[in-house]
Amino acid sequence: MSTSGAGIFFDGMAGARHEVTIELEQAAVVIRGAADCDMLARWPHDELEPVIAPSGVLRLGRLGSTVPARLEIRDVAFAAAVRALATGVDRRATESRRGRVRVVAWSVAAVVSLLVLGIFGIPAIASRLAPLVPLAIEHRLGRAVDVQVRQMLDTGKPGKPFDCGAATDERAGRAALDKVVGRLEGAAALAVPLRVTVVRRREANAFALPGGAIYVFEGLIDKAERPDELAGVIAHEIGHVAHRDGTRSVLQSAGLSFLFGLALGDFVGGGAVVIAARSVLGSAYSREVEANADAFGVDLMNRIGRDGRALGVILVRIAGAIEPGMQALADHPETRARAVAIGQAASGGSGAALLDGPEWTALKQICARR
Amino acid sequence: MTTIEATGPAVPSPTGSARFIGPIDAFWVLLVRGALLLVATLGIYRFWLATDIRRYLWANTEIAGDGLEYLGTARELLIGFLTAIAILVPVYAGLFIAALDSGPGGRWVSVIAFVLLAVLGQFAVYRARRYRLTRTMFRGLRFHQTGSGWRYAICAMFWWIMSAVTLGLAYPWGQASLERYKMRNTYYGDLQGRFVGSGARLLLRGLPLWIVTVLPLLIGILVPAFTVDWEAIPDMVKGGGADFGKFEGANPALAAALLLPGLAVAWTLIVGALLYPAFQGIVLKWWVAGLRFGDVTVATRLRKRSVYGVYMRFLWHSLAFGVVVGIVAVILLAAVGGGLTVFDKDGTLGRSTAAEIGMIAATVVVYVAMMLGFSTIFQATVRLGLWRVGFESVELHGLAALDRVKAVAQPSTALGEGLADALNVGGY
Repeated sequence: MSTSGAGIFFDGMAGARHEVTIELEQAAVVIRGAADCDMLARWPHDELEPVIAPSGVLRLGRLGSTVPARLEIRDVAFAAAVRALATGVDRRATESRRGRVRVVAWSVAAVVSLLVLGIFGIPAIASRLAPLVPLAIEHRLGRAVDVQVRQMLDTGKPGKPFDCGAATDERAGRAALDKVVGRLEGAAALAVPLRVTVVRRREANAFALPGGAIYVFEGLIDKAERPDELAGVIAHEIGHVAHRDGTRSVLQSAGLSFLFGLALGDFVGGGAVVIAARSVLGSAYSREVEANADAFGVDLMNRIGRDGRALGVILVRIAGAIEPGMQALADHPETRARAVAIGQAASGGSGAALLDGPEWTALKQICARR
Repeated sequence: MTTIEATGPAVPSPTGSARFIGPIDAFWVLLVRGALLLVATLGIYRFWLATDIRRYLWANTEIAGDGLEYLGTARELLIGFLTAIAILVPVYAGLFIAALDSGPGGRWVSVIAFVLLAVLGQFAVYRARRYRLTRTMFRGLRFHQTGSGWRYAICAMFWWIMSAVTLGLAYPWGQASLERYKMRNTYYGDLQGRFVGSGARLLLRGLPLWIVTVLPLLIGILVPAFTVDWEAIPDMVKGGGADFGKFEGANPALAAALLLPGLAVAWTLIVGALLYPAFQGIVLKWWVAGLRFGDVTVATRLRKRSVYGVYMRFLWHSLAFGVVVGIVAVILLAAVGGGLTVFDKDGTLGRSTAAEIGMIAATVVVYVAMMLGFSTIFQATVRLGLWRVGFESVELHGLAALDRVKAVAQPSTALGEGLADALNVGGY
């Protein structure tokens, strides 16, 4: 074993580069200037800390020192001899190696528990929280969502207002709709007043917002063959209002986006995972929610003495018309199963008809202005 | 601790070059392992990956024969991130509540939110630079940075707005001004840096690119604006589709006017993409050549050709990767979709919910694999490549000044890095 060799020394106090001779003693390495043999430093073996360096270079620091002095040895054999003396190790490298095993293991555990929280915890929290939200806040929330929804849906056909039922030749239809809604609302005993709006959209769809706003699309009225069918759909949406599902879904999606978006998932492609997780989880929540709204709707139809089965009929008709696409992403549970459940709960229509013939014709014309 | 005067036999090297000596295989291993662990930890591993990447890049870079050393740790980045989250969560929550409260006027809240987060992002950029500098060691001395992050953020916002208003013509002066601020607040030990690149020179070098890419866009939009009788159009639209033909006949410039902006945008996008490496090369060369530390000056022989070479490697790797992932994706989707359809219980061809969830999961897996793959390829080709060509084309003069530098720096916190990470404005 060679007892001395050449190296380069930086004292950590000044930028000068010192060519040095390194002498290996019993308990320490002694660093002397190559030209003048002045001792520059004396590092005990147990304070020698190898730090990161390109391959072929041994770079040492002094453990526990606040001054980042560095000793570099490029002679491979001599470097091996010095490394053998060093009882310290690359602290940063090993610390991070040991640390990262722990980090990976705990991160995987955290991912699992976050998924469990996302699937079971957030819906549970949201359903307990939604009834506690004051109605005033729900109203405000509804108005904010309403602005967004209108911006998204209103494609702005020139010359026609987005809302149906305002023009002279549409007023009779609006009156007929108000009659249907009034009868349902009377039986539903809601905490908030309903605001049902018909809008010019070709899709057969309807939805409820927080705070009692219900949107019915023109396409749905076109698809309805009897007043009971339209009433059934509106009764279903009233179910969402009564159960405060809009508020709950806002709470849920806020919780989910907070869970997956802010704290985690900040890597390339993470956004897609977040969106996919949110839409799959979101639709899983809504299956149960839709089934509950169906039950409320049928019960409401029973209470006003009309045929709740009509809801199932129109649902099947609409589902037959659209592409049988990605069922897991569709908001509603499989339509046939829903129709069966609705049929079992419905008690048949013995009460007074919702609308007479001319009224129904007028309602079908509520978006007449084309 | 023994100390000596820096008068020893230090060999003064008046000029020197830089080189990058890292083995590329090791970098790929580091990146691929990092990408897999990013998925397993939903992104928490990024602090360790970023630290690994920097340790690799710094340690394998030699300037005038001496290596750089990166002293940062992943734990510091994690703490910086947590601090940033603690600051940002109330800000986000406040903005959300403000947007809810203001109702239809919420548009202003989103404008304010955008400006606020943009300023915060620039602040983060400056503070993150300070963190990286204080974790960078060369010849036993750290770099450090003084100056105010807020002042930098305000200046940066001002110059970004000026650049947007002047369609990029103010960009060179903005860069020069911001770089001067950064560099005069940058120290190597007690040796102050400065930046001598001039905005006018950068403009002169970049002007041909601007003329070829931005000017056609300007012409394509402005020419129709002045040649077409726009006031007649609302009436025409009200009149309905039949009148359109008539109008067009009466105003033959309209067809050209509608076509021209489209062509101009397409031209700008395509030419812009093709010339982007040239632009990056010009800015990089101008920046490197303007760096000074005391008497140490920097010259560079960087060629646009080598920047193009870097991007060609990226394209080539991406193409090969895309083809492989495409084939795997088709097989995977077919297997998941087909397999679950065949074993459907009721024998119909309708797909079960399980099959559909499987399809979604497979799509997400393929998408994430694609994104992480491209990001890994980008790191290993463009980021590493620009680092390498940037350093290897450098020539330094007046290195004797380094021998007289004294240490002063203390490490700073990683808050800026954390903010930069949370706001997605991170860099090297």
